[in-house]
Amino acid sequence: MSTITAYKCVNCGQVMYPHHLRCLNCKGREFEEIEPKGKGVLKTYTIVNELPWGIDERGRILGVVEFENGVRALAMIKADKVKIGMKLVPGWEPVRVIGGVKTQGLVMRPAKHSG
Amino acid sequence: MRPVVISGAGMIPFERRDEDSLIDMLSMAGLKAMDDAGFGERPVDALYVGNMASGLFNHQVSVASAVVDRLNLLPAAADRIENGPASGGSAVKNGFLAVASGYADAVLVIGGEKMREVIGPRATDIVACMTHPQAEYIYGVTLPAMAGMFAQVYMDKYGVTPEHLAMVSIKNQDNGILNPYAHIQMKITMEGILTHPQAHINNPVVADPLHLYDCCPVSDGAAAVLLTTQELAKELGRPIVEIAGVAQATDTHTLQERQDPTDLKAVTIASQKAFSMAGLEPSDIDVVELHDAFTILEIAESEHAGFFAKGEGAKAVEAGETQIGGSLPINTSGGLKARGHPVGATGVAQIVDLTWQLRGEAGERQVEDAANGFSLNFGGFGNNVLAFVLRRLS
Repeated sequence: MSTITAYKCVNCGQVMYPHHLRCLNCKGREFEEIEPKGKGVLKTYTIVNELPWGIDERGRILGVVEFENGVRALAMIKADKVKIGMKLVPGWEPVRVIGGVKTQGLVMRPAKHSG
Repeated sequence: MRPVVISGAGMIPFERRDEDSLIDMLSMAGLKAMDDAGFGERPVDALYVGNMASGLFNHQVSVASAVVDRLNLLPAAADRIENGPASGGSAVKNGFLAVASGYADAVLVIGGEKMREVIGPRATDIVACMTHPQAEYIYGVTLPAMAGMFAQVYMDKYGVTPEHLAMVSIKNQDNGILNPYAHIQMKITMEGILTHPQAHINNPVVADPLHLYDCCPVSDGAAAVLLTTQELAKELGRPIVEIAGVAQATDTHTLQERQDPTDLKAVTIASQKAFSMAGLEPSDIDVVELHDAFTILEIAESEHAGFFAKGEGAKAVEAGETQIGGSLPINTSGGLKARGHPVGATGVAQIVDLTWQLRGEAGERQVEDAANGFSLNFGGFGNNVLAFVLRRLS
């Protein structure tokens, strides 16, 4: 499955997403490319009714998730009920049409056996 | 560094201004600041225009070159300063540096934005262009959505309730009624926006937990200050307000990379540096303008800037401390909530309002004997923040 690429500092181990040329912690310049691992825990979220031009919908859920290897990312959440701390599994799906092109992004759904 | 003073301040009413182009608005505000100073035909050394997105909103760029011509400030240096919603604050900072360094004696700083030229969802999209293109923008994130995600955890951690947010909104709209320059001139009540069973019709959810009345409107507007040396100000004879402290700090581009998403580090750092430069403490401040693009931000900024301990900002709102007549009036202008938030204008408009307060020219919203003021201009979602401390000298 396609997904985001995160970065782990070779010097200090700091996990970052998106990309930086210098580590946010130690200013190191060497990184190992990593993928989000395992389930994501929802850290915060919002339900957006007023979306920008080009997204013809209401009630899109956006949230910050933290994966088991420390990768944190903003993602679209597809769930009937949403709660901080819930466990989600990642998918890679169209999230927005930009310039006529369907752009793929992280889409998280509730884990079947949450907890 | 030389002392830098505000010799002139001017603003045009914030509203929907279909009849005026962006250049019209910027030029009118600039001329008002010069006339307020009684500057006459004296030369302006430099012009700084704070503006976020004229290319996207108005299909026009190089706006400083257009304004310097329109006002015949020729051959003054002219630059546009872009720093998102803190463009105005950044323009004032650059004007300050030019005078403080001795490079210029008189600098005109104008901030402005004409946002209503496009429809609402387009404006929302243009503003969202400040988010990270791959890690944020593609998901349809908006600035209200960023504030919603911040509010979700901040309210939980510090016991801020929807009632507290509504109190900020009601206070700022009450103040806006007293400000002829404010976009929103409408009394609202707790019942009308929150407690009535049908309040959600008046006040729908924009980005949970934030509702319409937690968000600033989309406005057109411009504001300006003329910054000069103290010597020149004495010659002009207007009451002298000094920029005693100015500081700027930054934080990660994305919200998710902050170790503690409730910590607005750049607000704390910029505020502390500005107070230190001025040799003043938060307790010395008489009147405050904060960047309440969302009601939650007024509360969070009042704490991070050092006026209240974490978790105490909402209690101060509840106790009426932040109202005009309270111990620390915040956003006497109506703030972004009521004055409006034409993004490039805001940082300058805050300083214009404080200047009027410190001169005793704020009319019905005047804070009695205000001598020291503080403003905070919050760019991005807290990733680029400017803080100012103003002091009345005469």
